[in-house]
Amino acid sequence: MSFRNRMLAPLLVLFAAAVGYPLIYSFYLSLTNYSIIHPKTTHLVGADQYVRAIHDPDYWSALRVTFIFVICSVLLELCVGMALALALQRQRWARNFTRSFLLSPMFVTPIAVGLMFRFLLNQQLGVIPTLLAKVGVTYDFFGVDRALFSLVVIDVWQWTPFMVLLLLAGLESLPRQPFEAARVDGASPFYTFRRITVPMMSSVLTVAVLIRSLDAMKVFEYVYAITRGGPGTQTQTAQYFIYQTGITFFKLGLASAMAYILLAMVMVVIVILFRSVERAKNA
Amino acid sequence: MTTAVASPSDERDALLDQGVTGRSTWGIVGRLLLVAAFFVVLMPFVWVILGSFKTGAQLNDPALLVFTPTLDNWREVLDSGILQAAGRSAFVGVTTVTMSVLVGSMGAYAISRYKAGGGATRFGILAAQVLPPAVLVFPFLAISFTLHVNDTLIAVIAAHLSFVLPVVTWFLIGFFDAVPRELEEQALVDGLGRFAAFRKVVLPLVAPGIGASAIFGFVLSWNDLFYALILAPGSAATLPVRIAGFNTFRGVELGAMCAAIVVSIVPVLIASFFIQRRLVRGISGGAVKY
Amino acid sequence: MTGVSLRDVVKNYGDVPAVRNLDLELPSGQFTVLVGPSGCGKTTTLRMVAGLESVTSGKVLIGERDVTELEPKHRDVSMVFQNYALYPHLTVRENIAFPILARGGDRASAMARVDEVAASLGVGALLERKPRALSGGQQQRVAIGRAIVRQPQVFLFDEPLSNLDAKLRVEMRTEILRLQRSLGTTAVYVTHDQEEAMTLSDVMVVMQDGVIAQMGTPASIYERPQSAFVAAFVGSPKMNLIEGDVVDGVFRAPSGLLVGTPGVRPGGVTLGIRPEDVLLGSRADGWEQARVEIVELLGPRAIVSLEAGGVGLTAVVEASELASVTEGSLVPFSVRARALHLFDAGTGQRLA
Repeated sequence: MSFRNRMLAPLLVLFAAAVGYPLIYSFYLSLTNYSIIHPKTTHLVGADQYVRAIHDPDYWSALRVTFIFVICSVLLELCVGMALALALQRQRWARNFTRSFLLSPMFVTPIAVGLMFRFLLNQQLGVIPTLLAKVGVTYDFFGVDRALFSLVVIDVWQWTPFMVLLLLAGLESLPRQPFEAARVDGASPFYTFRRITVPMMSSVLTVAVLIRSLDAMKVFEYVYAITRGGPGTQTQTAQYFIYQTGITFFKLGLASAMAYILLAMVMVVIVILFRSVERAKNA
Repeated sequence: MTTAVASPSDERDALLDQGVTGRSTWGIVGRLLLVAAFFVVLMPFVWVILGSFKTGAQLNDPALLVFTPTLDNWREVLDSGILQAAGRSAFVGVTTVTMSVLVGSMGAYAISRYKAGGGATRFGILAAQVLPPAVLVFPFLAISFTLHVNDTLIAVIAAHLSFVLPVVTWFLIGFFDAVPRELEEQALVDGLGRFAAFRKVVLPLVAPGIGASAIFGFVLSWNDLFYALILAPGSAATLPVRIAGFNTFRGVELGAMCAAIVVSIVPVLIASFFIQRRLVRGISGGAVKY
Repeated sequence: MTGVSLRDVVKNYGDVPAVRNLDLELPSGQFTVLVGPSGCGKTTTLRMVAGLESVTSGKVLIGERDVTELEPKHRDVSMVFQNYALYPHLTVRENIAFPILARGGDRASAMARVDEVAASLGVGALLERKPRALSGGQQQRVAIGRAIVRQPQVFLFDEPLSNLDAKLRVEMRTEILRLQRSLGTTAVYVTHDQEEAMTLSDVMVVMQDGVIAQMGTPASIYERPQSAFVAAFVGSPKMNLIEGDVVDGVFRAPSGLLVGTPGVRPGGVTLGIRPEDVLLGSRADGWEQARVEIVELLGPRAIVSLEAGGVGLTAVVEASELASVTEGSLVPFSVRARALHLFDAGTGQRLA
């Protein structure tokens, strides 16, 4: 076997075992009525599970909740992240310390972050509602029509640093000269930002948004830690709903079908991401 | 009389002062933003750390700042086997990362130098990093039952490989890309075989990148709840699963929950200092080129 | 000592041919330079000799050995790259010792040899430094040291001087030549700089589009280029090339310029005149007049751009003869009689 293939083989084998095989098996599961309690009674049921999933209003509700969550989080993270990245780029003193501290939230275990904010935002025992009450504001963070947005805020707290990381790397790799030329040409900061920084960063921005969106779609820990899907099904995200279907209700076949439909949607985003990354590399 | 010509670093400093957006009024806004961000990040940590030292009664007053600390919560948490859970998390992390680095570095080298597999491979690696865990977890569960490894760390390691291996490989491809090809060619002409050239000339130069990817992969594995919760919820629980177990809203146990959170946070804060510098350099210089 | 042979070598990258049916015999102990514009296949050829590129078809021999299928480490060659390719994580000493140690050589004798080589190249004081602490010229010497430490059968150079500034380049050129002469090893050198090729080579191989345009001593190539391409490529400033037709032994350019070309067959012809063969005369000679457009003084000589008979000509003139030559003035000019190069207008090949 050629050198190249010998180097590649272990990776391919491990990849096939850890990713490829489960992927195929998952598809198989989605075509069955597998139950953990009675594995021997499994048999193929064709596209039944898919039909069931598509006709399940809760499933669509979960997709919608996830969609709203992703859009709100990523947009906020993009704006705040960009502002922070710009601020960090020009910072001169205590650079490393500031950066490592501000980037730290993205490394904390998400379940811990979820519990942390549950602790902070709880109506009775959380410090923030207490402080707000002192100024006369009553805001139930996890009440009806509020809970999802609170989860968005938690996501923004934890993952804006990730956005900052990517954007900062992009900013620092930009060449200096176009900006010097803009200075000489008398451009205002806004104008420079709009016409030079953003266009030159377009590939970074695209990749950052896509990666973060794909990550945000997987949101689970915050729901598990705080709202468990409630109030009602207002924070029942896709991954949480699938988890419930499969683990709480033991319907692995249905859960797999739901997961596969989700995967199909995610694939579209992945393909776009891949094309952007390739284009960015060749630019 | 004019002063001596400004050195290049002076000019660069002046430019940095204005940053890429221009004038220095924005400097003040930027600084305010950073201070605000600092507090926003700091406050939850501080509050949880404080909470871990409070008794149930003290916790009933959420805004309490001055109090007599107690170590009861910490005793309870440490007795609960949380350190063992942390040890299991570390074991899973180290095993997963080691396998990923060994296998991934060779594969990444083949992909970087020989374009092995072409676009399909790169696509596959990227896609594997961002797959929703919901898709893969049920097969892992079913298989772990069949093989009688359910609720063991083996199942967790296998599941973690499914996302750590692609991430590590992806980063390494970028780092290998950054090493000039001529160095290996020189080594070949100088008398090394191809694997020896890889090992003795290329790997030392990629070492910092391997370090950064390894730490990143470890953190990903350390923080996973979804797979660990489903595949090993019981006696082989990892740290995140244990912490989820502290989820409570009885005042009595709230303090213990805080302590558990702190146990999870502290090692991560330390790790993030080391990663931060490498990652920024790695991403801008190696992993993904813009 | 051993020569290098390429027998009917073809190299394709997918569908794109880089080297076509190359037959090349590089004499043992000689300094051969492969020269040509970028994309002509010279570097590909060198890399095939090194074993860094596979051969699509054909054979490569070093001495009597067929090395076509051999890995670079078994070919007993050494190579100096354009960017020196010094191992950044090793000291100068370890860099130079690398070829010996990589092949399992004994450490002590390797180090002794390194000291020898370093002394001969004047880098003895730098042995404990890392490459990033060295200047370009010093890195170059270390790379050369690494190439000669093992005394291989063939030296290969891939544009090693392109990254140096002009003055250093000329110095290193002489050093490389001196080195090769004293060691007597067969050397193959690739460059796109025709001046480097002319000064270094015992044998010069001009390549174009994957084939050999002309091969020979520098003098023979300079004095009798076999094609318009080679004529234009070798020599600086570039040879004057004028398109036109020969009718009844007289060359006529479309602009009206006439040059006597007795005995030349009628038809389309490209006329070549080297700038140093364009003579500028004084008022007394009854020659044709040309208008001086630009004079570029180079010290002992000057490049004069003329416009004559509707055609632009370049002349090289001794500085001492510049008295009557000023920009804008008219000056009599002529062409040295036996200095005309004639090429077929269609094929570019030399006519007699």
